[in-house]
Amino acid sequence: MNLFNIPSNELLQHLINGLTLGAIYSLIALGYTMVYGILKFINFAHGEILMAGTYAGYYFYYFLYDPSKGAAYTIGIFIAALVIAMIASAILGVVIEKVAYKPLRKAPRLAPLLSAIGVSIILANLAALFFGTKSKKFEYPFNNSSMDIGGSSITPNQLMILAVGLIMMAGLKLFVDRTRLGKAMRATSQNQPVAALMGINVNLIISLTFAIGSALAAVAGVLIALEYKVYPTMGTMAGLKAFIAAVVGGIGNISGAMLGGIILGLLETFGVVILGIPQGLKDTIAFSVLILILLLRPSGILMKNIREKV
Amino acid sequence: MKKLLAVLFSLMLLSFVACGKDSDVIESGKTIKIGFLGPMTGDAGNYGKLMSQSVKIAIEEFNAAGGAEGFNAELIVEDTEGKVEKGNPAIEKLAGVDKVFGIVGAVFSSVSLAVAPKAEAAKIVMISPSSTHKDLPGKGKFIFRDVMSDALQAVVFGKYLAKVDNVKTVAILYVKNDYSQGLAMDFKAQYEKEGGKVVAVETALQGDKDFKTQLTKIKGANPEALYVPNYVAEIAQILEQAKQLGLKTKIYSADGFSNPQIFELAGDLSNGVIYTQAAEQPASQNKINFEAKYQAKWGEKPDAFSLNAYDGAKIILNAIKETSSKGMSGVLKVDRDKVRDFVAKTKDYDGASGKITFTADGDLVANIGIYTVENKQFKQLKMFKLDGEKLAEIK
Amino acid sequence: MLNFILLIFIYIGIYAIAAMGLNLIVGYTGLLSLCQAGFLAIGAYTTAVLMTTFHMGFWESMIISGFIASLFGILIGIPTLRLKGDYLAIATLGFGEIVRNVILNWDSVTKGPMGINGIPGPSIFGTTLSSMDKPAWIVIIWIFVAATYYFIRRIIRSRVGRALEAIREDEIAASSMGINTAKYKIGAFTTGAFLAGIAGSLFAAFNQSVAPLTFDFMMSIMILCMAVLGGLGNSFATIVGAVIIVLASELPRLMGISHIIPPQLNQILFGLILVLMMIYRPQGIIGRIKLNYAKIVKEEISDLEK
Repeated sequence: MNLFNIPSNELLQHLINGLTLGAIYSLIALGYTMVYGILKFINFAHGEILMAGTYAGYYFYYFLYDPSKGAAYTIGIFIAALVIAMIASAILGVVIEKVAYKPLRKAPRLAPLLSAIGVSIILANLAALFFGTKSKKFEYPFNNSSMDIGGSSITPNQLMILAVGLIMMAGLKLFVDRTRLGKAMRATSQNQPVAALMGINVNLIISLTFAIGSALAAVAGVLIALEYKVYPTMGTMAGLKAFIAAVVGGIGNISGAMLGGIILGLLETFGVVILGIPQGLKDTIAFSVLILILLLRPSGILMKNIREKV
Repeated sequence: MKKLLAVLFSLMLLSFVACGKDSDVIESGKTIKIGFLGPMTGDAGNYGKLMSQSVKIAIEEFNAAGGAEGFNAELIVEDTEGKVEKGNPAIEKLAGVDKVFGIVGAVFSSVSLAVAPKAEAAKIVMISPSSTHKDLPGKGKFIFRDVMSDALQAVVFGKYLAKVDNVKTVAILYVKNDYSQGLAMDFKAQYEKEGGKVVAVETALQGDKDFKTQLTKIKGANPEALYVPNYVAEIAQILEQAKQLGLKTKIYSADGFSNPQIFELAGDLSNGVIYTQAAEQPASQNKINFEAKYQAKWGEKPDAFSLNAYDGAKIILNAIKETSSKGMSGVLKVDRDKVRDFVAKTKDYDGASGKITFTADGDLVANIGIYTVENKQFKQLKMFKLDGEKLAEIK
Repeated sequence: MLNFILLIFIYIGIYAIAAMGLNLIVGYTGLLSLCQAGFLAIGAYTTAVLMTTFHMGFWESMIISGFIASLFGILIGIPTLRLKGDYLAIATLGFGEIVRNVILNWDSVTKGPMGINGIPGPSIFGTTLSSMDKPAWIVIIWIFVAATYYFIRRIIRSRVGRALEAIREDEIAASSMGINTAKYKIGAFTTGAFLAGIAGSLFAAFNQSVAPLTFDFMMSIMILCMAVLGGLGNSFATIVGAVIIVLASELPRLMGISHIIPPQLNQILFGLILVLMMIYRPQGIIGRIKLNYAKIVKEEISDLEK
């Protein structure tokens, strides 16, 4: 098989690369889309919340890390670090919402967006100030040697990122669609005043949304840190890309976030490979296709295009 | 009206006098200001931090040794974020507000090229510790660098790979920033001239962490060696992902690899990487002393650029010390042209980074060391200098 | 010190032109655009290439830069017909990144990551300005700022301005009133892009160098902040916004403490200003100017009757 001009032995590897890269975007996009779904605003600080949680997890893990104590111990402290990262991110997310977004619920649409950008600048620079600008290595808690699949390779962590992404997506969908709290969230997202009249504590629901979205970001952050290290701007570009992925999938739509992430990952990988041009142009290809997708489906792939009525 | 004219006239006269004077005067109790211009925040913030720490040590040593005629030096660090448009206000501030007598910087070639005319106009000696682009030398009388040029580094390495290591096919993976691209292009030209074959040239974007697509393509091209002239944050990712993908080629790099952070990030994967760096006698005593001092003061090791930054600061400070003199009422007179001339005459200065001699263009005359990593330690393999077109080994 | 203050006001002027252009798109027409830096980049690079490779003069280059930027304005304006709100914002964000990515990779024309250096200054009355001639630059740039201000004021007080405002308030109502919304939306983008192109051109000539890293997403955000901070839909407020943002980012240098405090504090301060501003004055420092349409229309009618 020789699709386009990719040698067949490379094709599978590119597919794996694209899927794993896409899974990373999806993982971040899930948290993004959740917050957007409820509040209808772009939480630009999502990437920095991810970074902050990851640092919390990293330092916990780093102080207890001791390979001589065996594999079970390492995995144990890794899971503990993951939980700590989630808690730290969740608290940070809720606090940020209370301080920087809540006063702006009735302000013009652009105000919370700029406030979020302000928060993200503050967080990224605080991290640089306190933790330094150096990348820090997050040691794998397990043996991450790559496995062979038909001549191509994939690492356990990459598989885990894919799996965690799918589990998170399914879990979120179940939560939002099937539970009482999920129902309250959906109600809040559709109409806040009416939801409040129905006896829903809107403030609580919004805080909860932020807590869950931020905790999901921390999970993404820790898994990504294993691959790409911990550094103050780790969430910025990945967060931006993830957000774009979420929009393309149809923002506010949980499956859409997953799909959008995978599409973006595959585009970044295959876009330039198919055309046979240098990888430096991957953003051009990926963003061009994304704009085209938006033009064909102006509300994202998985969203119904609701016509505005007078 | 007459009064106004008189005031205007005297102001004009004053400004002429101010323009006409050749030497700047530092009042007693004030300090001799030296600038550092580099990225202190952003992705490359760590490089700027390491280098500025070197300059701080140089200034402390200068002050401890009595300064110039009893005048102490002071460091003014200005952040460029690695961007041209941030470099402009930074140099204006150093020149106009602080009136510095020398600048160590800028770090990135693009920024150095942009600020060079301004340093030149303000008669500030500028010694860049890390701007390797071939266009920088000759940009002005006051512009120097004590890092070897891309051209030199790449020419030597191109010859080395083709002739000494006998590598027949190479793939290149570089990041689209001024440092990596300059080296990659010059290396490619030289290596092909020596008869080597470049089988794949792949690029990545600044800030990228995932290089698997490029490495997959490179693996398909099946080269004998991979050349990665990047900074350590990227090289660490490349080493790790190359291993994941089962790419088993020799890896070659450049002086950006000399940052000891590579051992934290890549661990054992850094073993066996071969790279170039300006060099003098293997492990000169100056280098050992400075590295020990740096480690003791900052708790981390300096990279190659930091050694350059230290030497650059020492050269500037020494020139100020040698050319300035006490004036009336205890002031210090510093003549910017004399400082510049003194720096330009630098020959075989025995620094931490090696012996430094400037060409007429302000470029560095350097010997190039070929280094490798053994057991997470940098180790010099060989040392060369360019003798006309030929590579001459220094034993 | 004086030179440094002049320099800051030169930057303020350049950004103010681009921000007023963006204000036309975001403030008056109500379309969220995140690619003003992309248009600036197009203008700056067009000027840089024309002046260095083709040895053209500055003034011709500047006009061509403006028009090329506005061509791209049309290109990105067309999608606005189909996209709304955040989807539009993302499309424009993507466009800005594409511009930067292409500039970075098109080495033969743009010199890639090195950027273009040695751009000559503009010649005026037979002398060539260097970036050292700050007083002259201040005059030139603030003439452009004033021209931009009156240009936008004229647009806003005309039929066009009322159409834009109608689109912002309620697009469906506007189109049912017979306003060709497509034409006006594209027009707003084109004009905003033109102004950014001019600003970019001035930027390139003043700095005498351009580099791709400059025109990143953060620059678009900074320009957007200028428009919002002063008050959307108010050109004068936009200029005030530009003053505040540039002064804030250079504040430690102005106060002479930039080498004492950690460099990150500067950025943190900028973030804080943004958050606090949005919380306490989300409508901007000055706010939107509500035009008295009854009065304007009456004036126009009386003009017609004459």
